[in-house]
Amino acid sequence: MGIRATAVVCLGLVTAQVTAGCASAEDTSVAATAQRFLSAAGDGRGGPACLLLAPEAARSLDDCEKDIVSAGLRSGAIRGVDVWGDEARVRVDGDTLFLHRFPDGWRVRAAGCRPRPDQSYTGQPYECEVRT
Amino acid sequence: MKRLVRENALALCFLLLFLATLAGQSVAGAAAFNEEQAANGGSPVTWAGYVTSSSFAVDVAENWQSEYLQFFLYILITVWLIQRGSPESKKEGEEGLESDAEQKVGPYAAPGSPAWAAAPSWRRTVFSHSLGIAMGLLFLLSWLAQSVAGLAAYNNEQLAQLEDPVGWGGYVTSPDFWNRTLQNWQSEFLAVASMVLLAIFLRERGSPQSKKVGDPHAETASSG
Repeated sequence: MGIRATAVVCLGLVTAQVTAGCASAEDTSVAATAQRFLSAAGDGRGGPACLLLAPEAARSLDDCEKDIVSAGLRSGAIRGVDVWGDEARVRVDGDTLFLHRFPDGWRVRAAGCRPRPDQSYTGQPYECEVRT
Repeated sequence: MKRLVRENALALCFLLLFLATLAGQSVAGAAAFNEEQAANGGSPVTWAGYVTSSSFAVDVAENWQSEYLQFFLYILITVWLIQRGSPESKKEGEEGLESDAEQKVGPYAAPGSPAWAAAPSWRRTVFSHSLGIAMGLLFLLSWLAQSVAGLAAYNNEQLAQLEDPVGWGGYVTSPDFWNRTLQNWQSEFLAVASMVLLAIFLRERGSPQSKKVGDPHAETASSG
């Protein structure tokens, strides 16, 4: 029983580490989606940008194709990608995006995000131009 | 086969109960997880996706660690502390590691004693504490697994709420980690204290965890 339980616990630990480790393999895909989204929005191509938004984020805008272009989003150098499970954060110059993995791939659930002034202390969510 | 089952019925019963309840937890947990996903605008996950997720792993590991801690502490503390009238306790005056003769180790090992009970040096010492060591290691491994899986689950939630993820050091000092840990510990300690005290005055006929029905309340270290 003791040996069996040890094996199961070890397996759980390894699984958890692998799950976390696999996140790095997703980084490229997440970063590419974020870049495509920012490029489209920054270049005035609202249609492609809206296709990369999570459905609820797109619905939060009155006229997605128009509003996403006027949100002031610009592509920039990727400063960091964090992937945890089905959620991801991408930091680019002057912007932070949050993405969610849907069955057909990564979609942007929040963009134009900036930390609140008191965020480091209270852990408040980012303020975002577009969000679910 | 029939004999094998009968001789191991206690372990088999609890192993089956464990598997059945773990399966139940996975189904209920997946449903609850998908409710949260829907509320956050995310997509639902399959059962297979849920049971390999950090969310399921941390829920399992946080309960495992507390159970192993309970047994680890109970095994160690009952070496040194007694409870008058409890069938779970040694008798007054028997506190401590006891003599080699009482423990049947070294030159006092009986013909049927395990080899390491008779062995000299470190092997006897290790075997003398092997149950506590095993439970202690299982506790530490489960707790570590809780911290790793909990970090992944916590950061997943943080990102879902548009908040920053934290590192392992930040997580193991976070309220989430200690809330998960302590809420399990307190329930284990309450259950042990209840068992120790209730078994003084109450009986379960035929159970080795209870005194015999007719045993006096003050009688310590008997079982029926």
